[in-house]
Order: sequence, then C-alpha cells, then structure tokens
Amino acid sequence: MPRYAMVIDLRKCVGCDACTVACRTEWDVPLGHSRTWVNHTGVEGQFPDLISSPFVAQCNHCDSPSCIPPCPTGATFQLDNGIVKVDPKLCIGCGFCVEACPYDARYINPVTKKVDKCDFCEDRLEKGLQPACVVTCTANAKFFGDLEDKNSVVYQKVFGEGAWRMENENAAIGPNVYYLGKEKQLELVRQKFGPRKPRFATPAKFWSTILRPFIFFAVGATFIGQAIAFFNQVRKGEDPFND
Amino acid sequence: MGISRREFLKRGALMTGALGMLSNVELYGLEKRPPGWKGRERVDEIPSICEICFWRCGILGNVDRRGRLLKIDGNPAHPLSQGRLCARGNAGHKLLYDPDRLKYPLMRAGERGEGKFKRVSWEEALDFMAEKLSEIKFQHGPEAVGFFPHGIHARFFSHLMKAYGTPNSVEPAFAQCRGPRDVGYKLTFGNSVGSPEPLDFKKTKLMVFIGTHVGENVFTGQVLQFAEALERGAKLIVVDPRFSMAASKADWWLPVKPGTDTALLLAWINVLISENLYDRDYVRKLTIGFDQLKKHVRNFTPEWASEITEIPAEKIRETARMMGKLKPAVGVHPGRHVTWYGTDSQRARAMAILTALLGSYGRPGGIYLSSSIPAPKFPSAAYPKRPPRADGAGSLYPLGSTGLGVTNGLVDATLNEDPYPIKSWIVYGQNVIQSIPCPEKTKRAIEKLDFMAVIDVLPTEQTMYADLVLPEATYLERFDDLLTVKNAHKPFAALRQPVVNPLFESKPGWWIAKELAKRLKLQDYFQWETPEEYLEHRLSGLGVSLEKMEADGIAEYDRGTPYYDFSKPIKFKTPSGKIELYSEKLKKLGFDPMPVYEAVEEPPKGYFRLLYGRSPLHSFARTQNNEILNAYMPENTVWLNALIAKELNLQDGEYVTLENQAGVISNRVRLQVTHGIRGDCVFMVHGFGQRSPFLEKAYHKGASDTYLMSRVNVDPISGGTGMRVNFVRLVKDGVPLMISGAVEIYQPAENGTQPAKKQPVKRAAQPVEAGDEEEGC
Repeated sequence: MPRYAMVIDLRKCVGCDACTVACRTEWDVPLGHSRTWVNHTGVEGQFPDLISSPFVAQCNHCDSPSCIPPCPTGATFQLDNGIVKVDPKLCIGCGFCVEACPYDARYINPVTKKVDKCDFCEDRLEKGLQPACVVTCTANAKFFGDLEDKNSVVYQKVFGEGAWRMENENAAIGPNVYYLGKEKQLELVRQKFGPRKPRFATPAKFWSTILRPFIFFAVGATFIGQAIAFFNQVRKGEDPFND
Repeated sequence: MGISRREFLKRGALMTGALGMLSNVELYGLEKRPPGWKGRERVDEIPSICEICFWRCGILGNVDRRGRLLKIDGNPAHPLSQGRLCARGNAGHKLLYDPDRLKYPLMRAGERGEGKFKRVSWEEALDFMAEKLSEIKFQHGPEAVGFFPHGIHARFFSHLMKAYGTPNSVEPAFAQCRGPRDVGYKLTFGNSVGSPEPLDFKKTKLMVFIGTHVGENVFTGQVLQFAEALERGAKLIVVDPRFSMAASKADWWLPVKPGTDTALLLAWINVLISENLYDRDYVRKLTIGFDQLKKHVRNFTPEWASEITEIPAEKIRETARMMGKLKPAVGVHPGRHVTWYGTDSQRARAMAILTALLGSYGRPGGIYLSSSIPAPKFPSAAYPKRPPRADGAGSLYPLGSTGLGVTNGLVDATLNEDPYPIKSWIVYGQNVIQSIPCPEKTKRAIEKLDFMAVIDVLPTEQTMYADLVLPEATYLERFDDLLTVKNAHKPFAALRQPVVNPLFESKPGWWIAKELAKRLKLQDYFQWETPEEYLEHRLSGLGVSLEKMEADGIAEYDRGTPYYDFSKPIKFKTPSGKIELYSEKLKKLGFDPMPVYEAVEEPPKGYFRLLYGRSPLHSFARTQNNEILNAYMPENTVWLNALIAKELNLQDGEYVTLENQAGVISNRVRLQVTHGIRGDCVFMVHGFGQRSPFLEKAYHKGASDTYLMSRVNVDPISGGTGMRVNFVRLVKDGVPLMISGAVEIYQPAENGTQPAKKQPVKRAAQPVEAGDEEEGC
C-alpha cells in the first residue's frame, strides 16, 4: 500500500506561484482561497547579512489528522495511501474541520458551500499523472511519491537527505509534506509559518468526545438488543411472517 | 408484538449506515470526486507556445468538446521549459477570456487621447488604413511611416512594411533592453548574445549575476536550469543593490552602489591578471589586446573599486579568486535588460572581457555557442530599395542595430521632423507609452502624426491616441510564423497553432497583413494562401511535416557539440578574427577601446535613484488586467530601506507618492519597508500605474515607473536609453519628506560627475544594410 508524501526544496523554490495558479485552474479553486499557497518570509537580519525565503504549503495529509474526528457527518476521511479527502455529498459546510487544521489547509468554497482542500490530485494519480503543482514547478522544487517505495525520490529525500517536517509545540501530527532548505532558512519559515494550535469549537469537542461515542454506543446497543429480541422470537416459535 | 423480519432488516440497515457514517470510512459507491476536475472534460491537448512573455515556453491547450479552453499545461517536449509553466503562462486563459480585450475594429471618433471610438467593419477599417498608407507614400514617401513591431507574429507585418518600402522599423528589444549588451559582446566575440542567454547552467560551477534577478524575472527554462545548477552545487555571486530572490540564494551578495558595476568588473579583471588566475592558454590562442588590457587595468585595484562600489576590497578579491579557481566553468550571465546608465555598451564590454579571460566563452560551464536552424523563407518578390533610416541606427548611434532599430531615435525623429517628417506610426504588439521612457515626449510625437494605427490584443493607453485600432486574435487563437531557437544545446523549432477559434471579430496577424497587402497591391509578397502552406515551407528545412509539428509542437535540430573544438582553427567574426580585448573598431569610432569606469550623476540627499525590475506574477505591462494575476498582485510597491523609513517616520504598507527630479508625480504607491535594499535607491516592479480606463482591473493600480522616467542618458555607442538616471523623493499628504541635510529643490550636478558626452554626429543618411536579420524578442 503506498504512503503518499511530498517534498518541497526551498533552496530551489523561487516563490513564483506557478504551482498555485496551476492548482487553481486544475480544480476551479475560487480566488481568495487556495488549495496550495505561497508565502514569503520577507527580508530579515541587518544589512548586509540578510536572509529571506519563499514558503509553499498545502494540506499535509498528516499521519494523525486533527481534522477528521470533529467531522459530524463522516464527510472527511483518510485513505490507506494517506490521502485525506472530503466527500462533498456528505459535507454540510459546518467548518469544524477548517478550525481543527493547524495548517489552515482547508477552506469553504463560497459557491458550493462545501469544504475543499488539496487531495494530492488523486484523480490525476489514478491516470498515472503527477500532481499538477509538481508538474508545473518552474524550479523543479516539488517532489511527490510513495514513502513505502525505497526507490522513490521522496524516500531518498526524506530518509537520505533528512527532509524536515513543519511541526512545532502547537501541532506535531506527522505532516507528510516535507521540506528541504538551508538550516537558517528552515528555522525562519518555522518561526513565521509554523502550525497554530488546532481549534475545536465547543460543539466540535462535544461531538467528538462525548456525543459521537455515545451515539455509537447507543445505536450499537440498540442493534444488539434488537437482534437478541428477534432471535428470541424465532427461538420461541413466533411466526416471523406474521407482520 | 414482535419485530418482523422486514422490520429487523430495515432497522439493521439504518443502524449500520449510521455507524458507518460515524466511523469516517469510505462507503462503497458514494461519489468520491469533488466537482470541477478539468481532466474529466478534457477531449484534446493542442501543443503550441505561450506569448504572455517572449520566452515562448511550450504549452498544451486543454479544450473540451465545445472547444472551450479548460486549462493550459506546459508541453513536456519543449527542451527549455520541459513541461513546466510559470504563473503567467498558467493564467493565459484569463487573457483569452478577458472581458476588456479588443473585440472589433475601432475608428477614432473624438480627439486624440479622449478614447472615443466607433465600431467599424474589417472591410472599412482595412480600406481606410490602405488608403492612408497610400496617401502618405505618395505625398511623403514610404519612409514617412514608422513601424513598431514586436514578436514572432510581427514577422508577417514586418515583411509587409519592408515591401511597402519603409526602413523605419524599431523594436524596444534593442534600445530599451539588450542592445548595449549585444553591441558589447559582438565587438568582443563577433557574435551578439541572442536569446535565451546561452549560459551553460548544466555544467557551470559558478554563476555570476550582474543585476540579473532570476526568480523574480521568471523565464521558466532559465529558472529551471538555475535551480538545478544550485542543486548540483554550483556557486552563485549576485551583484545587486537589492536583496533579490537570486541574492537570497547567493553564496556572495555584493550590494553594489548603483551605477558602479563597471568599476567592480575592472577590479575583477585586475585581480585575474595580476594574480595570474586567467586562462593563459585560451587568452594566448584566441585573443588579441591582452598586453594593452594588462596595462590598462593595472591601477584598477580592489581598493580603488572598493571606494567607488562600496563593496569591501576583500570581497572583491575573494570573488575574483573564486572565478579564477573555478574557470572555465564560470557562467558570467550577460544580462538581459541592460539599458541602465548610458554607459552600458562599455559595461557589457567589461563583462565580455571578463568572460574571455576566464576562458569560458565556447567552453562547458560558461557560454555555449548558438547555432542557426535551416528554416527557408517563403519565396517572395524582392524588397524595394529602402530610403535611409531616420532613427540614427548606424549613424548618430554608430552601432545601433539596423535590424531592430533605435525606438527612441524614431520618436525624436518624429517630434523634430529630423531628418525628415514621419507622418504615421503603425504599432503592432508594442506598448509605446509604457516601454519607451519619457512617455510625455512620445505623446507629443504622436501629435505630429497624420495617421496612427494600433494592432493589439488589449486596449492599452496608446489605443486612446490611435486613429484606428485593430483587434488581433490572442496567441491562443492563431497561427504565427515558426519560432526557431538558436540558443539551446539542441536548437529547435516550435509551432504556434490555434488552440481555440478567434473570439469576437479578432483576427490573426497573418490575415491582417495579407488583407492589407491586397489593398496596397503588394500581393506578390504573400504568395501563400494559408498559414499552413507558409509553415509547411518553413518546416521543409528541418524535414518535418506540419502535421507532425501540429502533433508534437517541437522539432529539434542536432547540430553536434555546442562548444569549441580546439583541434580545429577557430575564427571569430571580429575585424581581427580573434576575441578583441582591445577594440580598434571602437577606437576608430571615437570611443574608449577598453572600458573605463565612467561615474554617473548621484542622487542628491533626500532623493533616491529609481530602480525597477520584474515580478514572477507579471510580464511588463501586459498582465495587470489578467483576473488571476491581478488578484494575486493588483499593485506594485516601492521598496524603501528600513533605516531611511525610520528616519522619515514611514511604516511598511503606508501609501506615498513619488516625485522625480523634474517634478513629475506618480500615483500613490504602497511602501515595502525592508533592509533588503540600499539607502540610496528605491525599487518598483515595472508596468503598473496604467492609464487606460478600458482596462478596468489595471486602471490606476500602483504607480508607473515609466512616467517617472522623464529623462534618460542615451548610450552614444548603441543608442540605448539609460533609464536608471531618475531620482525620486517621497511625498506624503502632499508634503515632500525631507531627510536631514536634504536639498529643497533638485539641481542638476555641475561639477563633472556627468559622463563626458560625445558630440552627436549629424545624421548622415546611411543605406540600409542588406540582411539585417537580427531577431527581436
């Protein structure tokens, strides 16, 4: 089973926004929102010892996504290959997942009113194509592949070159978009663009910690209770066809 | 009472469903795909080439069954861009579907500049244009028509204008961009640099950028090669007063004082020679003038240069030694837009000489050699003999290009009716107001015209002054002349073909040219019926059919090695047959045979030198109305040094206006306060502050650098307009902000900080040289 991941080399990236425009066009992402976006740290330091860096981010398809538990309808889920998806048919646009994502990778589409985000171009992957952002990157700075495949470029960059995860004290949930960069560069982008604390609105917290487990238990118990009653009927010989 | 089987099953199913939903598992059969993946509707992928900028990366136009453009991808077959495409290329569909684009032929219905038009038919428009051109030819001669073309699509029109008989074709590519560079390199190596810059990124060990800001200046193929070179461990020296994206990746960033780059270059040459770090074998075999050069630079030490450039002497030595160590695999980037100070041909000479000393010209990792491609011209009647040029190319500006012309020279000629009156301008794909500095002068020249026609895709400011506006189809809707790229390891040809049918009444340039030719009785120059027929002939040299080209988009040409073969004799197209470190030709023309440092006027206290450049989100003044690119970057900013901002009590993000040395005031523009720029200059991205109300998104957004360029320093050798000679101060709420010690009013310097001006040669009428086939952008 593949485990998909991406590596972005900030030493090569020039922050040109080719990837974000390609993604936007590929997926009809409305202006004002993004599935992937480019930030710039701006110039830091004292003249002439200066540093600056672009920073590109998107949904990280994390090992332990914080966006999935708060979803009240099950619209968002994770595949075995790691891709975290949103099913628009089940999404009610409540936004609990948007609040929960420490990377602010999700947005509510103002037209469809459903949540949307990067899905590693799953449709393209099925056709044997790479994600649109990777294909168009002018600096060949984005890499995509299977972490389970020792021959893949992402395996080599993560385990061979030590590509780095964007985590901090706010969130360490195992993002699968890794970064390469000069040491000071990575420090700076972590400082400026590191994840925030995931936010669970009280209804979301209530839902995921109390109400959902309760309903599960209640439905499960009713199901079992009913099954026992039914088979008792059958055992006692009451006619099951007698409606 | 009991539960029926049916009831049991029903309830069971419901509960299972509920549990399933609560468990966040994927349920069989539910729709997985979010709406909107273009891939599903895609029925055709049509290869073509982009034209958002002039690098013309390969594209694939994805269309649906209704012939609507869904998305533009890169064409993997393109040798330079390799299937990649920048933000602007990716947003090309928003030019195609721009609601503000030109749709119908328009005739002026009010005063020049009012922007009042009436819609006319193509028939009427072309008849009118032919009538005017015939009239002018009869009364004033064909030379009274000035032609302002741009792009490979302009070739049909350029051909028509040559057939009509005017010599006055001018493109900003020379005098507003790379002219001085091509002059400097041609004097040294016998070849101008061409496009794209043939820097051998693939093998280079050290890249040297003088002002080059790859990464903000985004040409996909070059960004790719640059990034790959960095990944392979190539080192990078960036010389720039601003901490550009390239500077942020550099091993050495030299924040040179603006205007002093030549001093730095001469000091590098001094170190290479005095420390014996130059390629002695190469220099001995292939160059002349070394002894003169050695003597010439002996006093141009790093200490001397350090005082001028404000770069520490050890840094100058260190970087020179690194070049010496890693030669010949050192890629000194020749630059692109080099019309900075009016001393630019000589600065290019210094860069060429440096390249020669490193032995990197024609060697791996340095500058590789270009090669032409067989692409025969379509048979045509011979051009008439054309009268002498009016723009000064070849005369007033002795090494000004007679192929690409000197745009500003023609503007001057029109304004002053010298050497003869120019009565008409035909502007094809150029933006004369935004690309030529001193725009107010350009507008005054336009007032002298009897007839001005603009053939374009967007209603830019110049259309407001035109008598006739013709809507050309965009690059996505037409065939153009074949693109041939000489500067590539494997030179190649690329095809532009329609991805969609032309919208509204827009027409391709070839059709407009042919229709005009008919009316001007010049059909003998257009002996082909369809563009397909024309292209089939052009492709015959490569032995590729149009059908194959339409499928692939690209045809490569194998020319063997792109480097010199030292086992054979090597001859250069210079007067001496060798690389000329010392140029006798320049001396004969009355210029310095080897570059000297010429100081430029410095901004007085309180004023800042206006520098300008590129953003990866915009191309020149073309893209500011593009819906996506406008949303990403609706306006430009002005970079201001943080310490200066502190002194002036200005915050990042505040709006100011800029006032230049002549009192010209800009639009309000947002401040970008940063440590990443020297305190003696400010920087803006070019192309904003647009004044055409027809471009709704771009109108009055940001500030125009062009309008602040109310003066230029013209390079006497090439005619190139040095534009970085304007100084601005900041104005807030109508009050100019004064730095302590600042001057009240600008006074031009009197005490010899101006470069010595050559007396202009009286415009002698020169015959047009045959075979001026220099390529524009």
